[in-house]
Amino acid sequence: MIPGRASVLVVEDDADLAALVEMIVSDAGYAVRGASDGAEALARVEDEMPALVLLDMRMPVMNGWEFAREFRARWGRAAPIVVVTAAEDARLRAQEIDADGWLEKPFEIEDMLATVHRFLDRPAPDQTAQP
Amino acid sequence: MLLYVALSAAWLPFSERLLVAALGDAASRGEIQAVNGALYVLASAALLHHLIRRALAHRGPCDTQLRGVLDGMADAVLVVDGPGSVVDMNRAALRLFGAERREELFSLAAELLERAQLQNPDDRPAGADDLASLRALADETGTRYEARLRRRDGRERYVSVSSAPVPRRGAGSQELSVVVVRDISDVKRFEESREEFFSTAAHEFKTPLAVVKAYAQIMRRRGQGDPAGLDAIVRQVDRLARMVQQLLEVARFRLGRTELRRERFDLSALLGESLDGMRPRVDGRRLLSSPAGPAPVIADRDRVGQVIANLLENAVRVSPDGGDVEAALSRRDGEAVVAVRDHGLGIPRERQGRVFERYYRAHAGTPEDYSGLGVGLDVAREIVARHGGRIWFESEPGAGSTFSFSLPLAAEERPP
Repeated sequence: MIPGRASVLVVEDDADLAALVEMIVSDAGYAVRGASDGAEALARVEDEMPALVLLDMRMPVMNGWEFAREFRARWGRAAPIVVVTAAEDARLRAQEIDADGWLEKPFEIEDMLATVHRFLDRPAPDQTAQP
Repeated sequence: MLLYVALSAAWLPFSERLLVAALGDAASRGEIQAVNGALYVLASAALLHHLIRRALAHRGPCDTQLRGVLDGMADAVLVVDGPGSVVDMNRAALRLFGAERREELFSLAAELLERAQLQNPDDRPAGADDLASLRALADETGTRYEARLRRRDGRERYVSVSSAPVPRRGAGSQELSVVVVRDISDVKRFEESREEFFSTAAHEFKTPLAVVKAYAQIMRRRGQGDPAGLDAIVRQVDRLARMVQQLLEVARFRLGRTELRRERFDLSALLGESLDGMRPRVDGRRLLSSPAGPAPVIADRDRVGQVIANLLENAVRVSPDGGDVEAALSRRDGEAVVAVRDHGLGIPRERQGRVFERYYRAHAGTPEDYSGLGVGLDVAREIVARHGGRIWFESEPGAGSTFSFSLPLAAEERPP
């Protein structure tokens, strides 16, 4: 983690896809951390709050729904969560966990980059306003 | 019976003479008649008693047999009377409702409903109007619906309920209906695991597609490899993803699991977006549309977009020689109508009747078989029907087809 750079947490159990998403985000100039399931992702968040979570839904150990519930319970809306899912209806999945956005697999790289930019290039939220 | 009639007939004329002869003229006429009457009533009573016993003895075994037949049935059978009370049932009904004695179920059908927590499959509680028995009493024959039934022990069963009025025998007979409740929980359970399977399949198919597509795009961006080849990879991955999506849609519609997310939007704008989305895939064909005013509808935007995409895709597919595809939107009689016209193959007349059937491909087995899964129009029909609209087509073999669908226009929004 390079200080001063906004970090993206990529939660994805497919190693190839995780490596790919991490590469896309990293090429765009952001710091990236990876987690292969929800439980590992929670540990990463405990280490340091990311600026954006890209979340797969179907994962072993702890799936996206459980991760989102736990994340919201502990940290509220401290970081936006964008669902990246192969589900038939990505929008529905996003609604289910009250996510901030969604990307359907297979996604366009342009859409992935636009999403990352949209959430990271805006002014940082006022931390004191968080509950 | 005949014996009784003969005896009665013989008794009337002869009994009086017999008594006169026996008692002599000395006895008064009144006494004779009184004795005669009493004897007549006694004889009649004895005969009727005998006849009724014979009739009951004859009917007894038949009733027992019928009861045996009913109790041997796997489906629950309930007999409901005019006011809605359950008057009879078989053993399967007791098992289904989790009752031990018949008497427990001799309650009003409405109470039974409440206790069983019968629900329509979409979780709406079933109301009295839904009661098959009452509908049957109103002479609706063959009413059938599916419902969920929560038993007293908390176990949930899926049931299919059908009913029919029992034809009355004579004017005095009771108004009855027979309700057959079939436990379809096993079927439903299978459908649920199938749903789970499709959800898993979506994930399993699309994740590798996502990897292939993204790498092809990254290589393209970095200027590595053959650009045309990489573009082809991306195009074919998208095609595979659309097919997977379509198959899943069909499966979901089949299961009735698709919920519409209705919102107010402009159909005209959606048509424009759909055309834009289609442009990269038209291979030099022209996609034309005439400008149309706004057409507000309250519908599921994504699903309606899918209908338009399916029609456009078909139109392009059946235009192998690159004919124009025209899309038009019109408003008439409170409806918005979208029409997609191609100048392609047209549909052979003998195949036109089956065009909206699932898996049916109008050009299969002909030289003009230009691929496709045969599910697009079925999905389109299903979506349109769920919105209360219609879908239809006109086709001239060799000259092209026009596929149209309608959606009810939303009422004008009044400014606040």
